[in-house]
Formats: sequence, C-alpha cells, structure tokens
Amino acid sequence: MPRSVAPGRDSTFGVTLPATASTELSAPASESRHYLDVAAVTKHFGSTVVLSDLTLAVGQGELISLLGPSGCGKTTLLRLIAGLLTLDSGTISVSGRDLTRVAAHRRNIGIVFQNYALFPHLSVADNVAFGLRAQRVPRVEIEERVRAALALVRMEGFAGRAVSALSGGQQQRTAVARAIVVKPSLLLLDEPFSALDRKLRETMQIEMRHLLRDLRITSLFVTHDQDEALVISDRIAVINEGRIEHLGGPGEVYARPKTLYVMEFIGQSTRIAGRVTSGAQGTVSIDTPLGRLSAPASYPPGTAVVVGVRPEAILLGEGREAEFNHIRAKLLDIVFFGSKTVLILASAVPGDRILVELARRPPSLEVGADVAVRWRVDDSMVFPVR
Amino acid sequence: MTATVHTGDRTTVKEGRARFDGKALLVLPGLAFMAVAFAVPLLLLIGDSFTGGKGVSLDGYRKVLADDYYVGIIRNSLQLALITTVGTLLLGYPAAFALARARGNLQIVLFALIFLPLTVSVIVKTFGIAIIMGRNGIINWLLVNLGFIERPIRLVFTEFNLYFGMLNVFLPFMILPIYSVIRMLDTRLTDAGASLGAGPVYVFTRITLPLTMPGVIAGVSLVFSISVAAYVTPSLLIGDRFMTMSQVMAKAYLNIRDFQLGASMAVIMLVIAAAVVFASSFLVRSPGQPGR
Repeated sequence: MPRSVAPGRDSTFGVTLPATASTELSAPASESRHYLDVAAVTKHFGSTVVLSDLTLAVGQGELISLLGPSGCGKTTLLRLIAGLLTLDSGTISVSGRDLTRVAAHRRNIGIVFQNYALFPHLSVADNVAFGLRAQRVPRVEIEERVRAALALVRMEGFAGRAVSALSGGQQQRTAVARAIVVKPSLLLLDEPFSALDRKLRETMQIEMRHLLRDLRITSLFVTHDQDEALVISDRIAVINEGRIEHLGGPGEVYARPKTLYVMEFIGQSTRIAGRVTSGAQGTVSIDTPLGRLSAPASYPPGTAVVVGVRPEAILLGEGREAEFNHIRAKLLDIVFFGSKTVLILASAVPGDRILVELARRPPSLEVGADVAVRWRVDDSMVFPVR
Repeated sequence: MTATVHTGDRTTVKEGRARFDGKALLVLPGLAFMAVAFAVPLLLLIGDSFTGGKGVSLDGYRKVLADDYYVGIIRNSLQLALITTVGTLLLGYPAAFALARARGNLQIVLFALIFLPLTVSVIVKTFGIAIIMGRNGIINWLLVNLGFIERPIRLVFTEFNLYFGMLNVFLPFMILPIYSVIRMLDTRLTDAGASLGAGPVYVFTRITLPLTMPGVIAGVSLVFSISVAAYVTPSLLIGDRFMTMSQVMAKAYLNIRDFQLGASMAVIMLVIAAAVVFASSFLVRSPGQPGR
C-alpha cells in the first residue's frame, strides 16, 4: 500500500501564518529550486515501503538536511540519488540531466560516508587522488588538485600519512577532500559528524557549512540530529515514514512546523491535548484540562487537537492581556542546562507536558510550587489528532 | 595472516603490546603435541635423507637432482600444484565473492554446495570422478551430444581427468580464506569508489583486489602446499602415467625400500612448500601499504 498514507503534507491544517513570519524565517531563496529534482520516487524493500511518492526539489548551491529518525528512509533516499540503489518508480535528475537509469560511477555525485569509507590501503593523498586517477586526469593536474583540496580542508601536512594513523576529524576532512576534488555536481553526506565527539562535531559543522557555501556545492546532509540540521542547512526536509512532512528553512520548521510530528521531532515543546469548542475569524477556542486556550487556527468545533508551544515562548507570571493564554500548574522539576534553565510543570493528561525555558533560574522558585505561566495566542500551534 | 580491512573504528595502538600475558601459556599443550607428532619425525626424516647404506652421504639428493627422471617428477608435481592453484583461484574467487555477498537462504545453499563435498572422503570423490569420466560417463555423453566429438573418448587416467579431479578436491580450500576476507570488506569502500567516478573494473583492481589480497595469498599458499603433496587423488586418477613426488616417495618406501631416496624427495618437497608459504606471507606484508 504505497500511497495509502499521505494526509496532505502541504495541505490545510488551517494554520494561518502571520504574513511576516514565513518570509522572515525562511532561508535565502535560490533563483531556481530545480537543480536537483527528485520526483515521485518510490522504493520498496520486499513488502516494506521505504519511500512512497517522495518529491524534493533543491536549488543550486543549497545545503539541505534530510532529518528523521533511523529507519525513516533518509539514507535510502541518499543511496537512490547516488545510484547505489535502483528505485521502483519516479525520476531523479540533476541540472536537467535525467539520472534515473545512469550508473553510480557516471553520475558525478560525491558521497561522504558515515564511517568515511577511506581506502585503508592508500595514503591520504592517494585517497584524494583516487577519483581523479579513475577519471584519467593528467598526472600534473592531479598533483595540483590534490594539494589544493587538502589545503582546503587544512590537511596539507598529512598527504603521505596512512589513513589509519589519522584522528576521526582528520579522517573526515580527508573524506571531504576526496569527495570534492572531483568537482561533483552534488555532494551527499551520510551522518558525517556522528562519529565525532561533541566538541569536534560542533566545530566541524560550522567549518563544513562555510566550506560548502564558499564552494557553492549543492549538498544533501542525512542526519537524525535536529541540532545539526538547524546549524548546517539552508532548508530542512523532515522525513517520517518515507515521506517529507515539512520542507522549509530552519527557522520555519522550528517556529511553524506543519505537523505535530515535526514539532515533536525538532526542539523541545509543550504539548497540551484538548478539543475545539468554537472558532471565529481564524481563532479557535480549545478546551483543555488546564482551562480554555486560544490559538490562531480554523477547525470545526469538536475537533480533537494538540496545542504546542515552544518553551522559550512561555513566560512566568500572571497577565491580564487578552492576547495571552494563561494556565496554572504545579512545578515538578527544575532542570539546569548552564545557559538556560527549564521548568517542568505537571500536566493533567498522560503524554502531555509543559516546559518553560528561562535564561536564568528565578531564585524564589521551589519544586512543588503552584506556578502561573502565559504565552501569546500567536505562539500557539494547533495540530489535529486522530 | 590477518585481513587488513577497514572496519570504521579508529584504533589507537597503545604501547605495552609485547607485555607477557599468561594466556600465551595456553599454546603449550598444542605445542607439545606438535613436537612429538611432527617435529621429531621431521628431524628423523631429515636425518634419513643424509644417511644411506654407506653412512652419511648426499646420495639421496644427488640421485634426485641429477637424474632427469626425478627432475621430471619434481616438474610434474610443480605443474600439478601450479595448475590446481591457478584453476582453483580463477574458479574460487568469483565463488567466494558470491558467497560473501549472498544473503539469507541463498547463502546457506551456496555454503552447502561448496562445503558439503569436503565431508565426502577423497577416495569416494575420486571414484565418483572416474565414473563420470568413463566411456559411458556423463562427460563423454555431453561431449558427444553437444557435437564436440564423434564417439566417446578415453578420459580416465588422462591429465584432463587429473586436473578436473584436483580442482574438485581443492576448490573449497581456495574459497574459504578468500570468502572470509571478502565478507569483512566494507561495501561502502566500493560504493565510495563508484561515487568518485571509478567503473566496476577500476574499483575491482584498485580496491577490492588489493584489500582481499590477504585471502588470495592464504588460499594460494594453502592450495599449493597441499596439492604439491597430493597423493591419493593423483594415484587414483592417473596413476603411473603421471608420477608425482608423493608417488615416488611411496614407491621408495614401500616398493624399492630406498629410504634415503624417499627422505630426500620428502625434504625437497618440504622446502618447495615452505618456500611458497614464506614467500606468500612476505607478499602479504610488503605491497606498498603505508604504515603497515
């Protein structure tokens, strides 16, 4: 049943975006978003549908993250684009050239693998030169380009080293140099940072973003790490069960997720279940165990929904203003993260949660206290639930 | 002989590797057994090769190395071992590859097909080959019906028969070590090669083959050293028409009772086999692998 599930990914959840929000938050749009065109791609493994009717258009020079949990099909999509797997239906083209039936080695699509897949029997320089030699580039030019590529990733001093003698970060740089030296039309990166420790990972993410921007290489990152996706990409494709749930700039997918799944997957959030009671002029009232909430949405009365709020949108204290939602709840825990403090409040319904993010821990607050919080009606996200 | 295959983990070699470990003592029982069962008889054999009826002499070696008949026999053995080794390599590498890349039930079936014959005694197998090679055997039937020949030809006790049988007996010994190395080979390495624009042949010669070389060399030295010493299969499949070193040894001991001749031949064979094994393990270590 390849097509049975697709409850309109773009379609109307009736969320009316404030006119400014989407333009402000989305990434710089590139001239044409049809450099890489993945059209209606479907892939089964046996009876399992891994990708169903997936469409993705990427502009030249864009950095796109394919974000999703393991098993969502993101790596399969990457391998299909690279030509390492054959698709069941659909087409893939780069720069107008249909690659659907083209062999992997004729696609000119570079890959940086999760484990880097460096050739263990070759030196750093020979690894980088591999693609140029395979493509019969003249020897003098190979030397020059290998040197330049190694310089680009700051590995000049390691040309003669065995790859087994490199640290994780150096291996990754080598893998990147090897992939970009052949001037690929597209670069695919499969969880390229997951093997690095946290500090190095953050440095490498920024470094990689600058490098790929400067070289204007259109790139697709596969990752399950939402922070990585937010840091690196121009746009993020949130993938769930073989479909793209939301494709948008990091700011947009964070602030205006199209589905509950996207909201839950990216960042922290408060979620409160309720039922729509009435609605008028794009604002609905929702009955919840914590009281009545308002949100910018249009659903018929009786619809079961979840209200979502980002933790940093929630403020401590009472307020009278009509443009705020107010609730009171018991403080369960205070979690200190260094640069921020998160309050966890008791929610009435299992599965619900209330998170408040503060820059500083308020000195007077104690666990067990009854806390009043509020947030702007406009900051409330509403998702229907089945 | 370990496979040098990239597994993705970064290992930093720490010092203190050479520190004595009590576990090394576990080798002692096996070592003691080999001393009694192998080293002592071997020394006696070497002693025999230098002692004849007239006391200490080199007569045995002189007889073997100066006589065209015996030199021809050494050549026969080397030729047999070489053809068997090359043949099993050419048949075995693709088979090992298929075996390593097969999944699920297919792999079980392939495994059975390749390794079940190992459970059948060499004598039974060899007689089986004699049967299919007979005038009314399946090979002749095939050749006649496919129009290659007019009437059945003699295959039994021919060199064709011998090589056919040798390949059959020794193929699994080539497949097993190559299979175990290919199985360890990270398929992402060949994927990476393809993504860099390298075609299948380039990827095979520059990535797959160099990285599976340890398995190839293990298989080659294994098959060569046991096929150069093969006795049962050549005796049954071709007999006296194609004398090998092993057959001469057997005759020297059992028929003409010239122990010095038999022992000299045995030592020469041992030297050849050992040379091949040492050369192989040297090759495994040396070929321009940086930092290894």
